Amino acid sequence: MAYYVLTLCVYVVVATIACWGLNLQFGETGVLNFAYIIFVAAGAYTASILTLGHPTSSGYQQYFWGAHLPWPLPWLAAGVVGGLLGLVVGALVLRRLRGDYQAMVLLVVAIMGAYMVSAAPGFLNGGIGLSDIPSPFRSMLHTSQVGYEVFYLGLSLVAALIIFEVMRRINASPLGRVLRAVRENEAAAEAVGHNVATTKLLVMVVGGAAAAIAGAIEVQFISAWAPASWTYTETFGLFAAVIVGGRGNLLGVTVGAVLVQGLFLEGTVLFPSIGNPELIGAVQWISLALLILIFLWFRPQGVIPERRRRFGNLARGSRA
Amino acid sequence: MDTVLTSLGFGIVTASILLPAAVGFTLQFSATGVLNIAFGAQMTFAAYIAYICTQIGFGIWWAVALAGLFGAASSALLNRFVLTPFMRRGTNFFGMVVVTIALALLIEYLVEVIWGPLPVSYPMTSSSAWHLGPMSFTRSQLIVIGISVVFAVATHTLLRYTRMGKAIRAVADNRDLARSSGISAQRMTDIAWLLSGLMGGAAGVMLGISLSSVSYTMGDAFLIEIIAAAILGGVGQVYGAMLGALVIGVLLEESAIVLGGAYAPISAFALLILVLLIRPTGIMAGAAKTKGIA
Repeated sequence: MAYYVLTLCVYVVVATIACWGLNLQFGETGVLNFAYIIFVAAGAYTASILTLGHPTSSGYQQYFWGAHLPWPLPWLAAGVVGGLLGLVVGALVLRRLRGDYQAMVLLVVAIMGAYMVSAAPGFLNGGIGLSDIPSPFRSMLHTSQVGYEVFYLGLSLVAALIIFEVMRRINASPLGRVLRAVRENEAAAEAVGHNVATTKLLVMVVGGAAAAIAGAIEVQFISAWAPASWTYTETFGLFAAVIVGGRGNLLGVTVGAVLVQGLFLEGTVLFPSIGNPELIGAVQWISLALLILIFLWFRPQGVIPERRRRFGNLARGSRA
Repeated sequence: MDTVLTSLGFGIVTASILLPAAVGFTLQFSATGVLNIAFGAQMTFAAYIAYICTQIGFGIWWAVALAGLFGAASSALLNRFVLTPFMRRGTNFFGMVVVTIALALLIEYLVEVIWGPLPVSYPMTSSSAWHLGPMSFTRSQLIVIGISVVFAVATHTLLRYTRMGKAIRAVADNRDLARSSGISAQRMTDIAWLLSGLMGGAAGVMLGISLSSVSYTMGDAFLIEIIAAAILGGVGQVYGAMLGALVIGVLLEESAIVLGGAYAPISAFALLILVLLIRPTGIMAGAAKTKGIA
């Protein structure tokens, strides 16, 4: 039981970090990044190949390159790769395309990412995916399974605290105001001299890095990663968490991640199974969809709404 | 060379399924401004309705018609009872995208709950193939191509020569101006959803016939190809979508032969990215205008 609760906690921390990155893009800036899960995947693959070591031709898994790097380098490298991917995808999609095209192309990008990895078995072991990914300090710490999980939860919480602080500072800074200006009215933000395209590119990079670090933390914990772990529908689980929690509010997003990702998607295993076990996944997704619809109808601002900001005499409402 | 021509035949069949789907998707988008991610899931649902029709004794082509009608009705009801109320509450463009995604998940997994995760197939009688040079088509493939041509001609006639078609185009072009000229935008919106549901439903069954099996993820996977065709043609451009469907359909099958099946969707994607880099508004963007979407 302790083992299970600890595993759940690590999952929730990972989901929370990912949700913060998504909130920066969707909640703060209004960029609808349907390809968000591929950033998580990029981070996970980066951390995997940087801990697995050089691929051997006789090995049971094939990947194009690898190294043995000590913690925390794989996590940091994952962040860099996520940021670079954000730069590439952002430059491709955000700079020249209209809003509706952006959303569609990003959805296509998400699905194509999985196709590409599956189609090239030599790249990242194709559809089977990578496994036996080492966990940091595993051999050095002579603890029990539960003891190690406590340690890993601590490591991930440290990463989460740093990312939270970065997000909080962005939110409170003049940059945060620019992001919200872009979200509320792109034309007006452009008119007062903000570069909308660069701003969006920036949140693609920062949000992408957060997603990738979340992926790195996840993969070193579960020690396996395959295209099936990052189907594009996973992105909607994260969107649901941001919407339910309260987009634009970091605390709200955290609550949303705990509620949706923790209790709803992972925690259902805790409850006694009802009916056909094959249908648990389907029932989960159906309830998730209903949850999104109910929240968008009754409480589009989420559980903890974005706080109204006051500047002197001017009260600026946050229209969600 | 022969294999290229043979797969051209397959490409034409794939394009024939893509065409009504892409036209329905893009027509509804241009008239209503709602990006309907649930389109693929609606296709799947209609394909299963056709399966039920064949189980209770209808012929497969009757099933196509009935599934098309079901698709039209369900799509119009979905608009009336879910999407329009959300729009009235002031949900913005991106909010509506999230709503249709939720609907897509809802429909897709509802199908899994009702009909189970295993694929089903239509009872099809095998028939002799009809040859045209190195290309060969079965009778059902020829009928699929025929249905697609009928859809293309009907859409063209409707939009070009009827009052209703002109009204739909007017609403797509400028909703406010159309309303002030006495066109009921609400009615045209309903009709657009009806038409897209009809074409999507029929395309769903045609896809099931072509794949010779129907599964709950079928439409969702096909949605990417529909979106690719629609974007390629310029979103909201009906004739562009027809051309896009033809290009994507043929490209998918040709690249499956030349590069191998796993790379087929990737080549379609590469073409899409290339086109978007050169012409960010699609190949038929001449008349496309930036709609007020944000």
